[in-house]
Amino acid sequence: MRKAGQTGNPLTPAGLPALRTRVSAPRAARRAGNLAGACLICVALAVAAEQTIAQSWFQDVTNSAGVNARHSNRVFDNPYAKIMEGYTALGASATVADYDGDGYDDVFVTDSKLGGKNHLYHNNHNFTFTDVAEAAGVADSNDASDAVADSLWFDFNNDGKPDLFVVRFGHNQLFQNMGNGKFKDVSKQAGIDSYKNAITAIAFDYDRDGKLDLFVGAYFQPINIFKPESPRFFPESFETANNGGGVSVYHNNGDGTFTDVTEKVGLGTRDENGKFHRLSGWTLDLGHADADNDGFDDLYVACDFGTDHFFHNNGDGTFSDITEKAIGIDTKKGMNVDWGDFDNDGLLDIYVTNITDDYMREGNFLWHNNGNLTFSDVSRETGTAETGWGWGAKFFDYDNDGWLDIYVTNGWVSAGKDSYVPDVFKMVTTPNIDFADARNWPPMGDKSLSGYEKKKLFHNEKGQIFKDEARRHGVDSIRDGRGVAIADFDNDGRLDMFVANANGEPYLYRNTEPTSNHWVQFALEGTKSNKTAVGAQVRLKAGGMTRLQFISGGNSFAGQSSNRVHFGLGEVAKVDQIEVRWPAGEREVFSVPAVDKIQKIVEGSGKRK
Amino acid sequence: MSYRRNSLIPALLILLAGSVSADDPNAVYEKGAQAMVSKDYASAIPLLQQAVQADPDNLRDASELRQAVLRQTLAAHPKSEGATADFDKDIAFFDQLTKAHPASANAYLNFGFAYVDKIPAAGSITQVIQANNALTEFTKSIELKPTWIALYTRGNSYLYWPKIFGRAGLGVADLEKAYEIQKKEPKKSYHVRVYISLGDGYWKTEKPDKAIEIWKEGAAAFPDSQGLKDRLAKKGDDLDKYINDVLDPNKRVDTDLKELWRTQ
Repeated sequence: MRKAGQTGNPLTPAGLPALRTRVSAPRAARRAGNLAGACLICVALAVAAEQTIAQSWFQDVTNSAGVNARHSNRVFDNPYAKIMEGYTALGASATVADYDGDGYDDVFVTDSKLGGKNHLYHNNHNFTFTDVAEAAGVADSNDASDAVADSLWFDFNNDGKPDLFVVRFGHNQLFQNMGNGKFKDVSKQAGIDSYKNAITAIAFDYDRDGKLDLFVGAYFQPINIFKPESPRFFPESFETANNGGGVSVYHNNGDGTFTDVTEKVGLGTRDENGKFHRLSGWTLDLGHADADNDGFDDLYVACDFGTDHFFHNNGDGTFSDITEKAIGIDTKKGMNVDWGDFDNDGLLDIYVTNITDDYMREGNFLWHNNGNLTFSDVSRETGTAETGWGWGAKFFDYDNDGWLDIYVTNGWVSAGKDSYVPDVFKMVTTPNIDFADARNWPPMGDKSLSGYEKKKLFHNEKGQIFKDEARRHGVDSIRDGRGVAIADFDNDGRLDMFVANANGEPYLYRNTEPTSNHWVQFALEGTKSNKTAVGAQVRLKAGGMTRLQFISGGNSFAGQSSNRVHFGLGEVAKVDQIEVRWPAGEREVFSVPAVDKIQKIVEGSGKRK
Repeated sequence: MSYRRNSLIPALLILLAGSVSADDPNAVYEKGAQAMVSKDYASAIPLLQQAVQADPDNLRDASELRQAVLRQTLAAHPKSEGATADFDKDIAFFDQLTKAHPASANAYLNFGFAYVDKIPAAGSITQVIQANNALTEFTKSIELKPTWIALYTRGNSYLYWPKIFGRAGLGVADLEKAYEIQKKEPKKSYHVRVYISLGDGYWKTEKPDKAIEIWKEGAAAFPDSQGLKDRLAKKGDDLDKYINDVLDPNKRVDTDLKELWRTQ
């Protein structure tokens, strides 16, 4: 059974005392009827705060690094604008790639307001960055007909240089990396710019032909969201809505163009008359990985207002919807998909955020991979179920102890002290109301909805349970988080975090973890496989354990982490070997001469298995 | 499983049920109750529906009908809280029943309970809709007849709502009325529920002293009550967490009303 959720009132702005259950120190003191007690508690809290700061392993370097440009939501100008503003507080994304091949990861950060500029932060190698978006030609994506929702680096022409895909409500953009610091808009000739209210994208080689294919998830159905012709474009249900934008699959033709193969690959259903129906849920995120270690990456689709989907890759260029068998039918609000082997059992697990608040206790999913294409939700047992109104979340080993930790962003709209909850529930409980009609939804105005929520940094306690260390490390901000990207920006072996916030400044957290834990990173290059080796699995043997990591093609909501594979090793200073299973299917073994280093691995240069 | 193995038995029972006089709802109920004992819910449900239709204000018959529906769907879906479609059929039955018998207070009460029974099987938003519908039906029951059980039920239901909806105060008002009713009655085992819930309501409305006072009064009358012992043994945040756990809307609420007539 579910446990009681958060205490306190999450709708209470920071700085104000919680209204109900969290007993503040002064109130506790009043109960005790002892003013001296209150003073003692204050002193104790102050001492505790100092200790907390001293133990923090993350340093907020947003300003000093020069990456503090604020994100702003799009403000719509149509008859439904006052209603839409509450449901389109999106578009803050952070995606990482070493776009210029200088050995240091850079980061692309989006804005969404009309005329708002994107930022391409070039890494200066000293934990400062320079915004080169204008010069590179990737700053402009927000106009009257398009608003940025997300972004993705992927090497669509397989030249080893990451190209940039900008996901938009409107027409998506594909920028080819020309290799001289400039990008060229090739959206139209690539054939991927059809109108969609897209919100997420990933790229992986589903058919193992050596080229990265593109999967795009859309939130609203493909109506002109800026000038809707009908008011019926909102979700028809809170739990089983199927009038969203669904998922589109673009096969990479290898000549700079793509073909929409959504129906061919089977991402949808056929009715009794044989007619194909694309997925039409309110997609919020997509995540790929090889669940059953058969060499072909499978697909998880997280949907708002309805059922998440799990597609098994059949290995013949098609997928089968095995949702009911794999994860069951849910009615939650799926926001994020990230894959990682949190218990080091050699199988990739999945973390999906949903909504958990005083008024809606869905709980997240931590899908433990059972190894037979079924998953069991262990979020409650592991302490990862309740993270508020969840958004982007990422597996990563921040303390290099060899176990994947999780950072979770959250918070929907942090505004005035009044809550929007009663308004929306008044609508919900109105008999026979048509939810799809935007006019029936109450405007949010200056009210808050699951705002001012503290982020979570779950430390993995040897695959059994997670302990929230966000406050200790100073990464428990209350801004409305959306995307998180993980990278070792200074190549010191400690993974840093870039957090994109909606309608706010981002955070760049530098990892200053002081332990002597060892680590090793691998930069993989495909030859037969796609050149950036997306989908490659790396199994590392060290200290009597085997650990699994893989290269993702943009998993997790509004965030893309480094393309490098990072292993924390704890006190183990020697790696016995690594085995790489390349996306094309070959397995090779490599030796690792030294730890605490970044090692380049090229397909075909190892010992074949 | 059992009704499949004994497929002839339910058919016979239905034939027998058909032969029972419509003027004798108690006999029909007894047959339905017997089918329930043997976990033959497929037979029990139509019999109990027949009994309820013949005597719509009968609290016992309708309560047992809901229990049959609940047990049937839980047995068929052991890994979940039942199928929402099964509960929807039950809700539709009570909807028709109350339309046909708009003066039957207990029919409305059980209609409300039918919504409550569905809540754990529903999604988070549907839970709110069901809870709100339940309150609507409980209110109709109280308007017709403000009984102890109706006031206790609605008052207790209000306590499950998140604080943001401000309904705990309404719950306290109902529970205080139920408390006044029970003070004038001979002591019944189920009266302990009002002591517990009224205290929970006081706690949720930031009146901890009154909460402890009513729990202590209840403990004096019902010294074996574990719920009261637990509450009185806890303090501060521990007590708060305990009450929040008890009032978690995702947990199934026991809506079996047997205690009402077993103790009479």
